[in-house]
Amino acid sequence: MRPLDWVVMVLTITVIVSYGLWRARGSDTTDKYLRAGRTMPWYAMALSIMATQASAITFISTTGQAYVDGMRFVQFYFGLPLAMIVVSLTAVPTFHRANVYTAYEYLEKRFDSKTRTLVSIIFLIQRGLAVGLALAAPAIVLTVLLGWPDRITTLVMGGIVIGYTVFGGVQAVTWSDFQQMLIMMCGLGTALIIAIHLLPGDIGLAGALTVAGAAGKINPVTTSFSWVDRYNIWSGLFGGMFLALSYFGCDQSQVQRYLTGSSIAQSRLSLLFNAVAKIPMQFMILLTGTVVFAFFTFIQPPLLFHPGDMARLRQSPDYPNLQQKFDSAFRARTDAATRMVRGEQSRAEFQAAQQDIDDTRKAAQKLTGGNDTNYIFLHFVTNYLPPGIVGLVIAAILGAAMSTISGEVNSLATVSVIDIYKRMVHSSAADRHYLWISRAATAFWGVYAVVTAQFAKNLGSLVEAVNLLGSFFYGGILGVFALAMYFPRVGANGAFIGVLAGEAAIFALHFTGAASFLWYNVVGCIVVIVTGVLIGGARPEEP
Amino acid sequence: LGSWGRVYTVVILYLATLITLFWFFGKAWS
Repeated sequence: MRPLDWVVMVLTITVIVSYGLWRARGSDTTDKYLRAGRTMPWYAMALSIMATQASAITFISTTGQAYVDGMRFVQFYFGLPLAMIVVSLTAVPTFHRANVYTAYEYLEKRFDSKTRTLVSIIFLIQRGLAVGLALAAPAIVLTVLLGWPDRITTLVMGGIVIGYTVFGGVQAVTWSDFQQMLIMMCGLGTALIIAIHLLPGDIGLAGALTVAGAAGKINPVTTSFSWVDRYNIWSGLFGGMFLALSYFGCDQSQVQRYLTGSSIAQSRLSLLFNAVAKIPMQFMILLTGTVVFAFFTFIQPPLLFHPGDMARLRQSPDYPNLQQKFDSAFRARTDAATRMVRGEQSRAEFQAAQQDIDDTRKAAQKLTGGNDTNYIFLHFVTNYLPPGIVGLVIAAILGAAMSTISGEVNSLATVSVIDIYKRMVHSSAADRHYLWISRAATAFWGVYAVVTAQFAKNLGSLVEAVNLLGSFFYGGILGVFALAMYFPRVGANGAFIGVLAGEAAIFALHFTGAASFLWYNVVGCIVVIVTGVLIGGARPEEP
Repeated sequence: LGSWGRVYTVVILYLATLITLFWFFGKAWS
């Protein structure tokens, strides 16, 4: 980070936060603070929805994933547009007409208070665990690559988020998200264009794609089916659709974005914009990772991208041998790639050298016990991008983290106040009382995120653990909402027992290892619906 | 745009087009 980078980064974040706070002035009622008084236009909600979903780790690790595994991860999002249509058709009008602050409030109107409380508590546990990680992840990566003290990084980022979220509520969150998403797109687009320009000689984008294709990285559609393979077109369309249905239809951190809409049409448009823009955005992120792969075919990368792992590797007696193998494989690969780009037949040599490089990296990672996927893109950014642009990309990554954390803190506070405090503790106070309780709850969850982030050190396993935890509960919650909206004859008991049966099925699936986690949602949701319909628990007749 | 049904149809056709383009992109470069 050079002085110009610091200026660009600080200026970008200052403008984003100031604009968010300016737009949020006058949030002086609970309705304005938690739902923006239902005044939001579709474009603000649309970018806020996208910014909340795109966290720093999305940005950092998706590019790295393309480098290591190719573009097939894009299939994970194929089901998202279908889910957006279903949510637009059902959840949006249902929540709007029920005039609710949270998705779980609707469950009491439809079923009973125990179903609402159960699902609210599941949400608080699930999101509560994820929010600290969203803050810790970029701090850990920036600590390793830029030497920033991670405690101070999490404190400063957390402090900024708490400041604008407590002061401005959902309006500050939405308008800051709006700006953060624009900066993310600018940072990403700039990084991609410069990466193409940095390719040596006359390689260009076509040459980069030739090289990446020969290495098997250009695989955005894989049609083979396997229950345990995470990323193919079928798991993407079906598993991805159910996951997106759970996330956008039942998770308050997303539902709250479109509950602020000025009408059903505006909320629908915001979701449909996401349906159209999300896959191209992920494709661009993966394409950037692929171009970075081509760049490092011609410019020698380190054996491992994690500086700490690299330092540990140097202590190993096997290191000189590994480095020598890596160097000679790299030279062979560069030579083959150069000839391949010129149109000569050297694809087999290239693939053999690529295999040697992969084997050497695997052997090195086995020795260090680390995984460097999250460090590849930022290694490229900090070492090869020009001054000013590094600051822009780091600001985009910090913005991605802050937009996710602010949405989660804001929704955790809303559920704490509306579904727990107002429902069970103090139900008949003045509006001003709930406004201040909402501010206090927002501050509490913000501080909680900062504190839990201090304990998150082992990044890879943590991300996996939080994702796994999410997939344990999403199927059950999705099943309850499906029963609520599509099965009018099913009553409270059917829903409650259905959730418990669905969760039991998901845990059984996990511990037998019968299918990849993307399928947990599908199975859990179906078990909830079938159990609910069988038990029925018919709704009480209207008096 | 006539009705929401048309909007949803356009989104589904868009998704199908995107997947087809990705498939050809993968075939062309691998």
